[in-house]
Amino acid sequence: MNPVELQEILPFLIPVAIAEIVLLVVTLRHILTHTTYKRGNRVLWLVIAIVGMQFWGPIAYFLLGKEDA
Amino acid sequence: MRQLVAFVKKEWMEVIRNGKFTILIIVFILFGVMNPAIAKLTPWLMENFSESLEESGIIIGEVTVDAMTSWTQYYKNVPMAMIVFLLMFSGILVVEYQRGTLINVITKGMARWKIIVGKSFILTLLWSVNYWMCYGITYAYNAYFWDNSIAEHVAVSAFCVYLLGIWLLSLMMLMSVLFDSAAGVTVGTGAVFFVSYMLSMVPDLQKYLPTKLMESSGLLSRVGEVEDFYWALGIVVVLIVIQLVGAILLFNRKRL
Amino acid sequence: MNILTIQDVSKRFGSRQILDGLSFNVPEKSVFGFIGQNGAGKTTTMKMVLGLYEPDAGEIRVKDEKVTYGQNKTNRYIGYLPDVPEFYNYMTPTEYLKLCADVTGTSAEQAKKRIPDMLDMVGLSKDNKRIQGFSRGMKQRLGIAQALLSSPELLICDEPTSALDPVGRKEILDILSAVKNETTVIFSTHILSDVERICDKIAFLHAGKIALTGTLEEVKNVRGGAGLEIDFCCPEDAERFGTICEDAKFLSGSKLLYEKRTEQDMKAMMRILVEQDISIQRMEMLEPNLEDLFMEVVNQ
Repeated sequence: MNPVELQEILPFLIPVAIAEIVLLVVTLRHILTHTTYKRGNRVLWLVIAIVGMQFWGPIAYFLLGKEDA
Repeated sequence: MRQLVAFVKKEWMEVIRNGKFTILIIVFILFGVMNPAIAKLTPWLMENFSESLEESGIIIGEVTVDAMTSWTQYYKNVPMAMIVFLLMFSGILVVEYQRGTLINVITKGMARWKIIVGKSFILTLLWSVNYWMCYGITYAYNAYFWDNSIAEHVAVSAFCVYLLGIWLLSLMMLMSVLFDSAAGVTVGTGAVFFVSYMLSMVPDLQKYLPTKLMESSGLLSRVGEVEDFYWALGIVVVLIVIQLVGAILLFNRKRL
Repeated sequence: MNILTIQDVSKRFGSRQILDGLSFNVPEKSVFGFIGQNGAGKTTTMKMVLGLYEPDAGEIRVKDEKVTYGQNKTNRYIGYLPDVPEFYNYMTPTEYLKLCADVTGTSAEQAKKRIPDMLDMVGLSKDNKRIQGFSRGMKQRLGIAQALLSSPELLICDEPTSALDPVGRKEILDILSAVKNETTVIFSTHILSDVERICDKIAFLHAGKIALTGTLEEVKNVRGGAGLEIDFCCPEDAERFGTICEDAKFLSGSKLLYEKRTEQDMKAMMRILVEQDISIQRMEMLEPNLEDLFMEVVNQ
């Protein structure tokens, strides 16, 4: 990719990167501060959250793994 | 009134403290940014692809990208966001049945209808904020890179999908009163949607069905008229009211 | 004046007849023990009083107002502690009690004063963290705080002590006996020692009906006398005494038990002891035991 194109996609790259990092951090913090999950275990959810870090991992965790409070 | 305010506050505290609010905001921001991003990257992807395609004999012409490409992505991704939203709140009532947390509130004299209204209010508020934020982000990027004016009825079209979301939310509330598990709520809501979708195969029925609203993206490229959606919009509003009233009436008789 | 009247109430779940013409009254300002085996219908009865279940037949009145299913007006007189109280885990006790105050319509100033008082009373004022990490006992105590917050005239507790350790049980019973001057307490249990500790009036629920009811004294006297136990110095004395006063049960070589004896019988026996010149170590009127009564009721 040449520099001109990089310049063009920067307006996307920055917010997307920030949002994804925040999402991942929130998820990892939640996984690590809880010991019980609706299903699965801590290792499983850490792996899923990191492998699917573009956002499917965290979403999957919050839909399927997080205990209802 | 004080009961209702207190209950709405409680619901609000719930979505904030269990992190659902943060997750939704981030997810909807991501969805909003992704639409123009994918559009922007399309020519570059095509270029890379075409090299390998040319080898196999297929030649792709110059791809032009504009606001329409981005809006097409928007209507492709919004159903996904809607599903995430619905799944996230499929337990809004059933979790309270299972844990028995409503018993305390009700035996203290909380009017039951306020529970349904309070929860519906929070859901509607969250859906509205997140949906229009996602829309706003896509709109802003489109305006910055291209020109939104090439698309017709941008807001009307987005409103149709928004209202479809509200319909599904009220349907989910009704299902939450009928079923005692999150799985039941999800399947019930999905089943009704599926029925509407199947019925829309019948040409004569199509324009009266809620699923008609999914086709609103056609308005952007002048496929069809706004008037075509009046019936579906009206019926959806009526259904929302019927579903909520039904949920309240059934909830008044529900054994907790 | 009765605060609660239950008249011929029946309830069936599927093919199981849980309650079958249940009737009883609870007078004001008393601690009423509602006793029955697990599954006897205690919780069902309480939930019907709260309008959470619908009776198949019969009528329930609280303060002479009829209880209705679903939206129940009489709940404003009642504080309820469920058997396993569950709260919103993401709230702190103060926040939860604030929600309760708003729901019951307690005025803001009053709530401000009463919430710390209640937390103090149940010993949770230092634990103002989220309910998430609370133990069973702490939740039970918070349950009492929320039930008493609106100063209800009737406090209904469903098995408040069953799941607790002895220390936790004592704490709950102390709180319950402390509030009995302000409100009527109904509590269900299958732990009889708790009943003996704090109840004024009791009712045994068995086979869908009240098998036995009255004050603690009345119920204990139903059996007509208590057991009389005599501990002799040596087995020979016990043997000799046993032939004079018949129907003795030998608990050991030197220990005799006479069932269902009155104070008159006791005096007569003492006279015999003097006449026969027998010395004893100990002679005791055994307190009639609710445990035995309960077993008798259940085995009938």
